[in-house]
Amino acid sequence: MLVYILRRLLLWIPAVFLVLLGVYALAFYGAGDPIKLIFLRSPGDVAFDPARIEAIRESAGLNQPFLVQFWNYIWNVLHGNFGNSLLSGRSVWRSISAAAPVSMQIGLLAIAITALVAIPLGVLAALRQNTALDYAILGTALFLWAVPPYVAGPLLMVLLLVVFPQADMSYGWGGLLDARIILPLLVISFHPIALIVRQTRAAVIEVLSEDFVRTARAKGLPAHKIVLRHVLRPVLTPVVTQLGLIMITLVNGAIFVELVFGLPGLGRLTIQSLLNSDYPIILAVTLIASVLVMVSNLLVDLAYPLLDPRAAARRST
Amino acid sequence: MTTEPLAKAANPPTATGTAQAVMPPVAEEQASLWGDAWARLRANRIAMAGLLVIVVFLVLAVAGPYLTPYDFLSQDLAARNQPPGWAHWLGTDELGRDVLSRIVYGARTALIVALVVTAISVAIGAVLGAVSGYFGGAVDGTIMWITDLFMSVPNLLLVIVVNTSLKPPLARWLDSLYAATQNPFFRSTSIIDFTLVFGSIALVSWPPYARLVRAQVLSIRQRPYVLAGRALGLPPGRIIRRYVIPNAIGPLIVAVSAGLGAAMTMESAFSFLGIGVQPPTPSWGLMIADGLRTWQQYPHLLAAPAATLAIITVAFSFVGDGLNDALNPKGAK
Repeated sequence: MLVYILRRLLLWIPAVFLVLLGVYALAFYGAGDPIKLIFLRSPGDVAFDPARIEAIRESAGLNQPFLVQFWNYIWNVLHGNFGNSLLSGRSVWRSISAAAPVSMQIGLLAIAITALVAIPLGVLAALRQNTALDYAILGTALFLWAVPPYVAGPLLMVLLLVVFPQADMSYGWGGLLDARIILPLLVISFHPIALIVRQTRAAVIEVLSEDFVRTARAKGLPAHKIVLRHVLRPVLTPVVTQLGLIMITLVNGAIFVELVFGLPGLGRLTIQSLLNSDYPIILAVTLIASVLVMVSNLLVDLAYPLLDPRAAARRST
Repeated sequence: MTTEPLAKAANPPTATGTAQAVMPPVAEEQASLWGDAWARLRANRIAMAGLLVIVVFLVLAVAGPYLTPYDFLSQDLAARNQPPGWAHWLGTDELGRDVLSRIVYGARTALIVALVVTAISVAIGAVLGAVSGYFGGAVDGTIMWITDLFMSVPNLLLVIVVNTSLKPPLARWLDSLYAATQNPFFRSTSIIDFTLVFGSIALVSWPPYARLVRAQVLSIRQRPYVLAGRALGLPPGRIIRRYVIPNAIGPLIVAVSAGLGAAMTMESAFSFLGIGVQPPTPSWGLMIADGLRTWQQYPHLLAAPAATLAIITVAFSFVGDGLNDALNPKGAK
């Protein structure tokens, strides 16, 4: 058990480090000289004086080797300093901490909705396997999975406009208790719901054919008790392992949904920075999102032995 | 099974006459893996509907320019923002361009991107997965660790970072190539756009293929027929050709079918964000992004490309699911 946890951590830390290095290297070599980028933006501010540029470069530590700069960046990030935006000069951390709560609240609520909607639907589909209900649930899930959020969002808006021409348009941000949150929340939950419905259904079908379920049936246990006591627990393991994937669909979804519905979250911040080539912000958001997904994966790995000791023993070898 | 006769009908043993076709032994011999799979797929109505949509999409993508009455660039400023009607089935956009023609031309962009991206990512995935599964041990551990790394970075963000980072150096490189060769080919900006779109989507698409191929190689290596082949002293090339590839290819085909749809979606996502192919190259994602600006006045400009993309992606996933059932009869319950 301890060996398993140590193994996971030992593989995890270099993985995070490599991802940080890769993303930083891309931005470092691709973005070009940050000083020039700043000067290109505000040519009138400072005379284009090579000596002066060199002085700024020297004082900002920008003529040091790549690895030294990378190390400085990581060191600053660990102290909450993500540098400054190229466009506004504002601290990147301040932009991010202003935008993050919006995305976080929506993301957490979407995870809750997914768990509450998708797991029961998946169980229901499996229990009514190959009936019209099963096909309806499965077909809907397939449909939700296939339609990207930037298509579902606008189409739902058009639909809303056609059905309720007088409706207050679902655009903007007013907190979680505002009615305008409903449509974006729905759209961002589509992919995770589709994923978990299919995963749950497959897992339940597999468990239903196990001997212990047959025993429970044979001893006359009512169906709801069989599901609650014997089926649900082993089903949770494969479903929980999808957490990392859910995080990725939520990050992707946030980018589109915030753009379509005009929400001031991390997704919109990313796209605005992308359009302005504001690398410090893109870099910071990418690093945070990657670490978030990797932490989720690590949590899943660490929770594994608690959920299913057999699988953990297999995975650690 | 009710689909058995279909398989025989699909593969008539000889062309000499119907009398011979009903002779059971000959027909039995002809029932192949692909014949059976095709019969099962034909029995799946949802999958066949998806297949029909895909065939129509392919025809439009290939022959579209000869079918549409308007060029995708021809502007008719007297007929701007027209609602759907007889002259323009899906209406016109803000420059008076025919929406249907633009969707048909956009199919071409989507198809090219889907084919190239899937080819690149399957090639990378198949090689890495096969090496990983074949050698095992530390090689396997390293390759799978890297695969997991790629899967743990949110794919859209990775694509954005790669795209923004590689565009300036690529543009500089092409400029220098043009300066050296004076070949106008290197001046076209679509080269940069398409290279970046192909490269960055392939970069995030290969890991699932690698995992799939590795799992296939691992499981097939242990199958009795491969062991028997080895025991009989068959050369490895023959074992791979006759036993490993035919048994590994089914799940790969399913994955490719889903992957084609996914690559298309990615392409439109890119264009939607403004980092994919650039106007005037027609792309559904660009049309959705444009439609989003004026959707309250002209909902058809948004609905037409959005619905097209939705229908195509749903069709690909239906066909993928149908193929899954058809090629893995054991998995179908």
